[in-house]
Amino acid sequence: MRKPADPVRRGLDVFVDAAPQPQRSGMRLLIALERRPRGRRLLARTHAIDQLANGLVTMGHYEDPVNALPLGWDADAIAARGRALRREEGRP
Amino acid sequence: MNGRRRGAGGARVLDADVCVIGAGAGGAVAAAELAEGGASVVVLEQGPRHDADRFSARPLEMLARLYRDGGQTTTLGTPPILLPLGRGMGGTTLVNSGTCFRTPPAVLERWRREFGLEALADEDALDPCFQRVEQALSIQEVTPELAGRNAAVARRGAEALGWSHGFLRRNARGCVGSGVCAFGCPTSAKQHVGITYVPRAEAAGAQIIAGADVRRVLVGRGEARGVEARLLGGGSLEVRAPTVIVAAGTIHTPLLLARSALGRASGQLGRNLALHPATGAFALMDELVDMAKGVPQSFFIDEFASEGIMFEGVAGPPSYAAVALPLSGRRHAAAMADYRRLAMFGLMVSDRSRGSVRGLAGRPVIRYELLEEDVARFRSGLARMEELFRAAGAREVYLPLPHGVAPARARARDLKLMAFHPLGTARADARAEHGVVDGDLQLHGMRGVYVADGSVVPSSLGVNPQLTIMALATRLAFGLLGSDVPQPAKPGRARAGAGTA
Repeated sequence: MRKPADPVRRGLDVFVDAAPQPQRSGMRLLIALERRPRGRRLLARTHAIDQLANGLVTMGHYEDPVNALPLGWDADAIAARGRALRREEGRP
Repeated sequence: MNGRRRGAGGARVLDADVCVIGAGAGGAVAAAELAEGGASVVVLEQGPRHDADRFSARPLEMLARLYRDGGQTTTLGTPPILLPLGRGMGGTTLVNSGTCFRTPPAVLERWRREFGLEALADEDALDPCFQRVEQALSIQEVTPELAGRNAAVARRGAEALGWSHGFLRRNARGCVGSGVCAFGCPTSAKQHVGITYVPRAEAAGAQIIAGADVRRVLVGRGEARGVEARLLGGGSLEVRAPTVIVAAGTIHTPLLLARSALGRASGQLGRNLALHPATGAFALMDELVDMAKGVPQSFFIDEFASEGIMFEGVAGPPSYAAVALPLSGRRHAAAMADYRRLAMFGLMVSDRSRGSVRGLAGRPVIRYELLEEDVARFRSGLARMEELFRAAGAREVYLPLPHGVAPARARARDLKLMAFHPLGTARADARAEHGVVDGDLQLHGMRGVYVADGSVVPSSLGVNPQLTIMALATRLAFGLLGSDVPQPAKPGRARAGAGTA
């Protein structure tokens, strides 16, 4: 599996790689098109597919703490609080 | 007593009184109750044990880890419906919202009338089953404080409109509102069966084996003999048991039974799939909402439950909102820039539509076409969703429809749907020609093979199904032990399911 340095792409890759075929190939195609101006124009012809492609790419975008923190979301802090609480209170 | 030896072909062999396939809502409950009742139990779970230390609160990563196919199981039909299924110890209870409703009395009455399930659907007999699960999982109502500001928006709208509503009951203890119930609870507040019933089963002597892919249920002379499984680490396993409980879930139980040439006499195996198709809408508010701070699914509106329309909370982190927002391009970017002011709420339909599940090259093919009467419910529900948000003071409302399509004109292909409650593919019916299992959840015509998951539920429920499934599994376990379900220490009936008022 390729390991791009970009954390946004890495998160999205993990998600896409978990999908069954043919969704996996379809999503890779949509993501590739969404990242190119000519591809976006092509996708814009079909509302549902356009939204799906946009949603996939932005899902990866907002998973990145650089983009999530300004929106008030700190996944690392939530996970860390969870681990601390489980240790302190002996939760499973 | 369990024994360990090698069978023909080098398969590891275990002996038990009961072999349970699947450690989800039904399987884990049945296993624990049986083991505590003195039965020797082996549980075979296809997925892994999940380590809560690795729950990262990142949706993309956790979808890939906690769900089958990364949460991207999809139905074929118009429209295609995303059907996320949990995988691992706890099954879908690991990743659901934790909402708990008892089976509505009207649904139980339907089971008695249409499916002949007089004993199974006896409300008085089920009461101790429900109470036992409710106590085991600390089921309690969400407080307004934990519910968060996203729920407060919906509540404001419901109160302004005079719609029946309430805070949901959930299987959670010590919740701090992490907001990622569907992506692995990092605090282990959600009392899913993987951290409740599974440990109880182990403490009572049950053997719980993860990474065991059951290939076939073995029978002979009209009765159960055991199961054959492949192990993730290599090798195979045979469990010899006179009682087998199949609890692989609504989508995979019919595939396993079909592979085993079981349950097919009525022609109903794999059919009658109900989903509770659902969708969500957003609203831009003037106030800060921070939808993911608090319990994502904490509030419900059941004003229209008798019409088959139920509203429940839904929310998530920014990446979740990004993929769920029914916008694209600049409009999407502008809405996401205002994420902290976005509210979200969900709509679920108690479907009349029915689908099917078949196996193809080892994978499920799920077909489901939305009937016009269910499309009409979505039209009505979406219009009411807009009304709700406007009553709550929304500046803008984003319905899950193509731009320019009003709810009244929505067609099936315009809808953007997900579903979380697959049911019915091995449905219970007292008559062998109409059902896969009987009122005791035993396969018609086959002694010792039972089913204890959502596949036995013969109709849509209109409410979240996990408590129903667990109560039925409790009833099954005590039936197998030859005992009555113990009456709770504090008898009393909790609030019935929605739509029953």
